[in-house]
This record gives sequence, structure tokens and C-alpha cells, in this order.
Amino acid sequence: MNHVRILPVTRRDVMRLLGIGGGAAIGASLPGFEALAQSRKETLVIGMDIRDTNNLDPARDLHYTPPMTIHACYDTLLTMTPGDYINLKPALATKWARTPDGKGWRFTLRDNVKFVTGNTMTAQDVKYSLDRVNYIGYQASQYLTNVTEVKVIDDKTIDVMLKNPAEPILTILAAPSFSITDSKLVAANGGDATTDSKTKDKATEWLNQTSVGTGPYKLAEWQRGSQIQLVANPSYWGGKPPYQRVVVRHFEDAAAQLLSLRRGDIDCAFNLLPEQIATLKGEKDIGVEGHASLDFIYIALSHNPEFNKALAVKEARQAIAHAIDYDGIIKNLIGGAGTRPVSFIPTGLLGSTEKLTQEIGFREDIPRAKQLLQKAGFPDGFEFEIIYGNGAIAGTTYHVLGQKLQSDLARVGIKLKLGPMPQVNLRTLYNGGKMSATLVYWNPPAVENALWSWATVQRVAKRLHWTPPADLVKLVDAAAVETDQKKAEQLYIEYQKQMVDVANLIVLFQPIYQVGVRRSIKDFPLTAAGWQLDVGGVKPS
Amino acid sequence: MLRYLTSRIVATFVMALLATLIVFLIVSLVPGDPVLSQLGDMAASNPEIVKAYRAKWGLDLPLYEQYWIFLTRLLNGDLGISITSQRPVMADIAQYAPATIELGTIAFILSVVIGVPFGIAAAVARDSWIDHSARFISLIGVSSPVFWLAFIMLTVFYGWLQIAPGPGRLDPIDLPPPRVTGAFLIDSALASRWDLLHTAVAHLVLPSIVLCAATLGLITRTTRASMLDTLGQDYVRVARAKGLRERAVIVAHALPNALIPVVTLGGLAYANLLTGTVMTETIFSWPGLGLYTFRSALALDIPAIMGMTLVFAFVYLLINLLVDLSYAVLDPRVLKR
Amino acid sequence: MSEASAPILDATPFEPRARTSGQRWRRRYGLAVIGAAIIVIWIVVALAAPLLAHYPPHAVDVTVRLLPPSAAHWLGTDPLGRDVYSRLLFGARVSLFAGITVVVLGAIFGTLLGGIAAYAGGRIEEGLMRFTDLMLCFPPIILAMAIAAAMGIGTINTMIAMLIVWWPKFARLARSLVLVQRSQEYVEAAHLIGYGPSRVLLKHILPNSIGPLIVLVTLDVGHAIIVFSGLSFLGLGVVPPTPEWGAMVSENRELVEQWWGATFPGLAILTVVMGFNFLGDGIRDWLDPRARRR
Repeated sequence: MNHVRILPVTRRDVMRLLGIGGGAAIGASLPGFEALAQSRKETLVIGMDIRDTNNLDPARDLHYTPPMTIHACYDTLLTMTPGDYINLKPALATKWARTPDGKGWRFTLRDNVKFVTGNTMTAQDVKYSLDRVNYIGYQASQYLTNVTEVKVIDDKTIDVMLKNPAEPILTILAAPSFSITDSKLVAANGGDATTDSKTKDKATEWLNQTSVGTGPYKLAEWQRGSQIQLVANPSYWGGKPPYQRVVVRHFEDAAAQLLSLRRGDIDCAFNLLPEQIATLKGEKDIGVEGHASLDFIYIALSHNPEFNKALAVKEARQAIAHAIDYDGIIKNLIGGAGTRPVSFIPTGLLGSTEKLTQEIGFREDIPRAKQLLQKAGFPDGFEFEIIYGNGAIAGTTYHVLGQKLQSDLARVGIKLKLGPMPQVNLRTLYNGGKMSATLVYWNPPAVENALWSWATVQRVAKRLHWTPPADLVKLVDAAAVETDQKKAEQLYIEYQKQMVDVANLIVLFQPIYQVGVRRSIKDFPLTAAGWQLDVGGVKPS
Repeated sequence: MLRYLTSRIVATFVMALLATLIVFLIVSLVPGDPVLSQLGDMAASNPEIVKAYRAKWGLDLPLYEQYWIFLTRLLNGDLGISITSQRPVMADIAQYAPATIELGTIAFILSVVIGVPFGIAAAVARDSWIDHSARFISLIGVSSPVFWLAFIMLTVFYGWLQIAPGPGRLDPIDLPPPRVTGAFLIDSALASRWDLLHTAVAHLVLPSIVLCAATLGLITRTTRASMLDTLGQDYVRVARAKGLRERAVIVAHALPNALIPVVTLGGLAYANLLTGTVMTETIFSWPGLGLYTFRSALALDIPAIMGMTLVFAFVYLLINLLVDLSYAVLDPRVLKR
Repeated sequence: MSEASAPILDATPFEPRARTSGQRWRRRYGLAVIGAAIIVIWIVVALAAPLLAHYPPHAVDVTVRLLPPSAAHWLGTDPLGRDVYSRLLFGARVSLFAGITVVVLGAIFGTLLGGIAAYAGGRIEEGLMRFTDLMLCFPPIILAMAIAAAMGIGTINTMIAMLIVWWPKFARLARSLVLVQRSQEYVEAAHLIGYGPSRVLLKHILPNSIGPLIVLVTLDVGHAIIVFSGLSFLGLGVVPPTPEWGAMVSENRELVEQWWGATFPGLAILTVVMGFNFLGDGIRDWLDPRARRR
């Protein structure tokens, strides 16, 4: 217990002052310091900025930080282990295969898995959970549009039937949104998994204060704006969790997170800045854990000449892409904690490597950028406005990135006007396709190549007023249903080449998470699959 | 008296109503469309979902109807549903208010306990070093940007000297006491959790010092000015002429009268202090109304901004009313106006 | 944000000890002179910023980011490798311009409204003053936040938001001052001579009420600079890369080890606001008739 003694008063003094006597009574009502120190060892305290957490209901999850907590409390049918986002691993389902008619997938459930509530998990719970996500109509339901029906075959077998059986679904079902919940308790507390659940489901407020999953931990309390408390699930099917309690402590800024980490008030700090990470190197008690994410920060340029005449010209967009100091951004601004994919498929996925970026990706080339401007018909450059949110990202801020871009583009005569705004306004303008350019990030709701590539030729294309060539659309569809990995890889490489030529989406970098971790922790399995950290796999040394 | 009372109360009520209109108009002119950002990318590109969402929040109705709905709900204590937290703004306010009231009250007590004696000393020993340092310190207090002061305090006392605890209301490992009032000082005492009480007190020290900086100056200077005024009054001179000891003159005669303006000003100072929490709470990660307001403004959470602006406005109006009424009691001449 | 104005407007006849006039003058007006000096220095700095700065304020060079103070960079560099010293100098322009403009415009508008209300009386007065009270019941920083968030971020937008919440206190003060003056004999005399109301108001009443207004204006510029930089700090003020002190503190506040980035702009705010407060305080003492009597 790392209590700070700011006043020269001990606990005993306070009690004496208040006239509460009797050593025995104190001993009975208070755990001793030794016990507190013990409980500190059995508690994992995670320092993280969780201001975006606004609910912990898997079916309504659409933000960045809740999946970590949801994944600690719930399991999905299949999962991904850190570092491998191509081969799925069993979780609540032990086997999966095509249904006999070939129109869906059949899952065999693990035996004797109990919810933290004591009920046994059955196929009925799986159907209820997936139906509830689907009918509630939040973000995650959009990934189930290809699902026609979830069918219970028997207690241990469930079928997920698809419209187009070739389109990917397994990778999607590994996302925390598709967690399996105890259907009896959810239904008893206002839950609804019928077609009316959009209006009828009222279980979220209840699920914000407790969890009814099969995961290693159970949600004990969520204090908004302050912290999330988890307790161990002693009957976890994967064995007894290593910690008695887990606290996800909210920090509004990085400086305080660093100080708390140094003092041992927290065991790990997620939102440190590159400079702070640098100062941690060489410290005895603290190490730095890194893990390449699948997120990226990118620029989107609109094709609509009404917003900006220059940006509608391909060569002008290419000029922008060649005027950016990518290395300066990655090496200096984010302290080297990032890589860069070619285009909209993060490195680490099929057909995307850093090496490929060196070969076919954008590179800084000022003379070339000037040539391109000439060719585009804007030899003296042009002006455009870029909008971005007022938040922090990957150890820097959009605000800093925007100013860096501004000074980079100025080198070839392009004037960048910065438009910081609340996230809401940004989303309104971007999703509505009402901006000339934007600087935003993309994070995967589920790990599946096709989700990225489809996005670029479908809804992102719409926002950019871009009609993708029919060939490109065909290419993306073909890659999505290609079952031969080698062939799929070639298709995705070809797709990225074409995206580079269009130059309407310029990826600046793909961050590597850098987490400060105290050496009292041995295993710290970070993951890029969408939930940041496998909380259940964190072990003390 | 009764007529004055009713007229003031009615006026306050009308003002409160107008305040709701102003707040409503401001937020209605906001260009952002909260629908898209709250539903997420893909759902937002589905027009049906968007339509259902707009209908759910009444965003598709004409402005005056929206205002009418807003008003009738308000009368039922319903400030709408916060877009970011997705639950009633009233519930958010109820949750965050105790933290702010606790911090604000401690800071206020601090500024009164230091400011009033300081002001009296400055008045009694006019032009002495006490007077001048009181003036200097108050001026510095009013001149420091709260956000910067908070940053410096946190860096120096938590980061470098390590004698103060970090941001937040308790240490990260602590579970808060069972909620009774929401104020940790009271709740931990009720639960006999003296260790928590200790931690909570330690965590209050820095933010309350930062928060009281500006108010302290205000209270010191008001006390000084008012005390000087009183000391110049005839009845004090008479008391002094009667041969009373200086201390008796000050404590028994001058002080009670001198404190009247301080008390009325104190109310407004307290309300001011609550708004000063926006910066302080943001830097100290203090989960109170200030931080909530700040986050809502950044996220353009319209119902929440509406709610908070109104709550602050109502508090101001209420305090103004109380000040007016107390003036009427203390100084009957007001009634003749 | 305090309202350190109205209650301090009076000093008193009571005085326990006598001192020589020179000493007293120094004690009383010393601070005011210091304040005036600080303001003059900052205004000179603001005007001469291009001459005094070592680098252009927007010169980004990420290879020299976050360097500590040195001969090349007197106050170090920020996360984009910009020179903090140079940005600080240019920042004086933004802060002084915003603070002074908001307060002067607010004072003009508020004073006119308050003056008209007091002079007109009746329904007009009632209506105007109720509206003033209505605006006063919103805490300035909160309402400014709401308006700034609604209108979009930008120096001018933020100043407009501040202006909307700034004029009412001047209206209130002006009204009370005019009410006092209106009953004075010279005003009645002016009326008897046949001067029109606007002439009486502008030529007679305002000049006689100007003292307290000047005090409030001076003190308020400091307050306005704090609020403006506060809004910038919260991300609701200037658009980057405008060098503004509050925004500079905000950009650097998480860098505890690189303390220079946030400390110096904060000190700049502190000194300039202190300057206005010292000066305003001094003018108040000087103008106060009861204080002058001694």
C-alpha cells in the first residue's frame, strides 16, 4: 500500500481524535497494513485513459477501451492469440466446420463451461447473445448483415447460416462484441433478443455494473470517470485467474500516469508519450512492452471538386502524398513507435508488410511532388483545409500531427488550413462526406482483411465522392472470398498498388503500443486484435 | 416586505425560464450532428437506423416543439439523456456533484479561514507589512491561471517532491467507501474507514489549494475593505472614545457588521468557485461536474452541456435571490426602491 | 474565475497611523507603477516580436524537438521542435489583443446599454436590466465554453463568445454610476439649460463616471486574458499553429520532464495579468475620493 502521508497524522491519531478507542475494535474493523500490502500484490492495477468508456454491454460496444474489460469478463466462440491474426484459436467453441449444406458454419461448444453466475453455458446462450447483438442494431450488428440465422442444433452444437457463404464470418465472431452472455440472467434483467430488441432491450444499465460471462474475471463495479473494478472468477474454465482483483484506473493525462507508475500505484501505464517511454528505458523496476497494433492514422482526401478543385486531381493528391515526411513523423514525433502500411491494410495482416511499403508505398520525394503539382496544373501549389478531432492518439495528438503536415506541405507550396473540432462534428462532416480532407484514425472492430478493403471501395469511397473503378471493386470481392492464402495475398497486393495510385487515402503510420509495465508483472500479453490486452493472461512474477 | 419577497421570487422564476430558452437556443444552433458520431460509422450509413435514432431523441421535430418537450421534461427533473454516457443527465449530475461539492466546500472553507483573519489583520494594521503582503498575495492569487497553477502544483509536489498524492479522489487501489452522500470524507467516516478518510483528505489538499487561490484574494480584500469601512463609522469611534480596548472594539463592535458584506459576497464566491472547478478538475482527474462539463463541451454532448449550463445558472439565480433577500432583511432601505 | 471587482471599489477614511507622504505614495502606488511597467514591457514585446524572436514562430523541425533551454533556444523547444522563446513573444500579441479587445468592446457596449437604461428609466430600464441580469446568471467560462463549442474553434469565434458574456457587468456598473450622477445638481442644471438627453449623457454624466469604469476595464483585461487562455487551454480557443500561451501550456502540460514548455507560457500569463491587476488596483486607490482625502 503506497499511502501518501501528507499530514503528520496517522490513522490512529485520527481515531483518537474522533474518540473512537479500543485497539481490539480497530483490529476487527480494519485490515492491517500487512493484509493491505498482501491485497495490493493480489491486485492488478491498470492505468489507462478510459474516458471513452460509456457502457460495458458487449452488444452496445463501439468505443476503443471497453473491449479490454469486456474481453476479461466474457469469451467469444473463437479467439486470436497475440501476434497471430490470421489463424483462429478455439475459445468457447472447440471445433468448427462448414454446415452439411455448405451454407454456414457449425460450431461445437466446449463441455462443462459455467458462467460466473453458476449456470452452464449452452447453445441457447450463444443464439441469444448473437441475436441480441444483431437486433439491438448498434455498430457490431453491421458486421452480421451476412448472417441469415443462428440455429440451435442441440445443447452443444450451433449453426450460423450465411447469405453468401464465401464471405468471412469466423474472424468477425472473434471480436468482443460477439461475447457469449448468460441468456437467463440477461433476459431476467431487461434483456431482449427478439427483432424488437432495438426498443425493448433494457439490460445495458444492469450489464454496466455486473457481468454474466464465462471469462476469467467478473465486473464488480464501474465508477464512471474514475475506475472499473473486476474480481476473479474462481470457476473460470481456463483455470484460476492469477489476480484476486483487477482495477482499470482512469487517468486524464499521461504525466500523472507516468508518476503513478513510477511510484508503484499502478502496475502498467497505457497512455505514455514517446518522451516518457524514453525516460523509462534503463529503469530498474519498470520495463516497456511493445506490440504492433492494427490501428492506423490516415489522411482522407475528397474527390469532390466543389470542396476543393485541386484535390479532385489525382496528381495533386499524389503530390501531397510525396511531400510528407513520414520518417520524421514516425522516428521523431512518435519516438519510433510505429510502422507504415502501404495503404488500408495494416502490416501484420495478409499481404501487408513493411517491406512492401518500401517497395510500392508512398515515399517522401520533394522534387517528384513538385513535378506532380506541375502536372496537376498547380505549379505554385494550392490551399486546402483538413479537419481533425481534438484528442490524443498514439502518444501524440492530431493537433501536433496537423501542424507537422502543415509545415511539410508548405515545402512544396501547398497551404494546409487546420480545422480542429469536437469529435462529433468531425464524424458528422466526414461520415456525411462534407469535408475536403480529414486526419483520423481507423481501428478494427474485428480482424478481417476484407473489412478494411471493402470499406475503402464502399462507405469510405462514398464519403470521398469517389466512384471506384469496377475492376477494383471486383478485385476486392475476389480477394475476400479467395480461400487459397497465397492467391489472396497476391490479390491484396494488387489492390494496394491501385490504392496508392488513386492516392485518396494516405496512411501516416500504424502505432506500436508502448506500455510501461512494472517488473512485478511477468506476462503481459498485449494484442492488436481489438481488446489491447489479454487481461486474463497477465501474470505476476 | 411580502410584496418584495414575492416579486423577487417571481422575477427569479421568470429569469430561470428565460435562461432555459437561451440555453436551448444556443445549443440548437450547433452545427454538429450527434447522431452520426454516437451510432458509429456503419450504423450511421443506414438511413433507417439514423431516422429511428433521431425520432427517439426528438431531433426531427421543429425547434419550438423541441423546446416545449425540453421544458416539460425539465419540470419533471428530466434533463434528457447524455449522448456520451447514454444515461440521464440528471443521473450523471447526481453522480458527479458530490465530488465537486466536496472539493468546492473544502476550498471555500480554506479561503474563508485564511482570508477573513488575513483581511481583518490587514485592515487593523493598515499600511503595515501585513496589509501590503495581503494585497500582494491576493493580487497574485487573482492573477494566476488556474490551469497553470494546477499543473505546477502537481508537478512539484507530486512529481518532484513526492509529498502529495496524485490525481483522483483516492489512491488507485482503493475501493471507495459505500456511497451514502457521495462525499468521501463523510462516507469513509460513516463506514469507519479511517484509512480511506486519510487518503481522501490527502488527495483533497492540492486541488483545494489551487481552487481557493482566486477566491482567497477576493475574500481577503472584501474583508479588509469592509472592515476599514466599519472602523471609520461613528459608533466604532464612540466605542473607542468610551475607552474600550482596541481588541474589544474590533471583535465586539466592528467585526459583526464588517462581515455582512463578506457573507453575501461569500455566496457568490462559492458559486464562482464551483465554475472554477472546470480547470482544476480536468488537471486533477477529479471526477466531478467540472470535468464532466469539460468533456461534454469537447464531445459536443448537447443534453449534457444544456444540463450543466442550466444547473450553474440556477445555482447563480438562487444565490442571487438569497443575497437580495438577505439585503432586504439587513438593510430595509432596499424595500423602498 | 473570480469577480474581483465591485466590492473592492471602496477604500475608507479610517487610518490608524500616519506616515510621510513619500513613503505612503511609494507603498500605495509602487505596485501600480510596477504594473504599468510590466504592461508597457509586454506591449513593446508584442509589437517588436518579429525583431526580438530568434526563429519564425511556426518553424517546425522535429529533429530538434523538446530540447532544454540553451543558447540556441533560450526557453527550449516544444514537441514540434519550435522555439518556445519565439512563440512566447508572438503569443503576447494574441493574448493582449484578445484580452484588450474583448474588454474594451464589452465595456463600450455594456456601458452604453447600462447608461441608456439608467437614463431612460421605466420599462426600458426594467427590460434592459433584466436581460443583463439574465446574462449575468450564466457563469462566464461555462457559457463561453458552450458558445465556443457551438460556433467552432477560432480566435475570433472565441472572442465573440467571450464578448457575449462580458458586457453585462459593465452594464450593471454603468447603470449604477449614472443613477448616482443623474440626481446630481449639475445634471439637473444641464437639463434646465435645455441640453438633450444624449448630450447630457455623453458630455456630462459619462466623463464624471469614467473613473470606476477605467478601474474595472483595467482589472478586467487581466481577467479576460486568463479566460481566453483558459479556453485555449481547453482546446476551445485559437486554431493551431497560432502561438497562444494557454494553448502552449496545454500542448506541453503532459511533459513533466520537459517542464520548460508549459512553465514559461504560464509565467507569461501570470506576469501580464499581474501587471493589469497591479495597475487597476493602483488606479482604484488613486481615484477613490475617500482615499485621496488623506
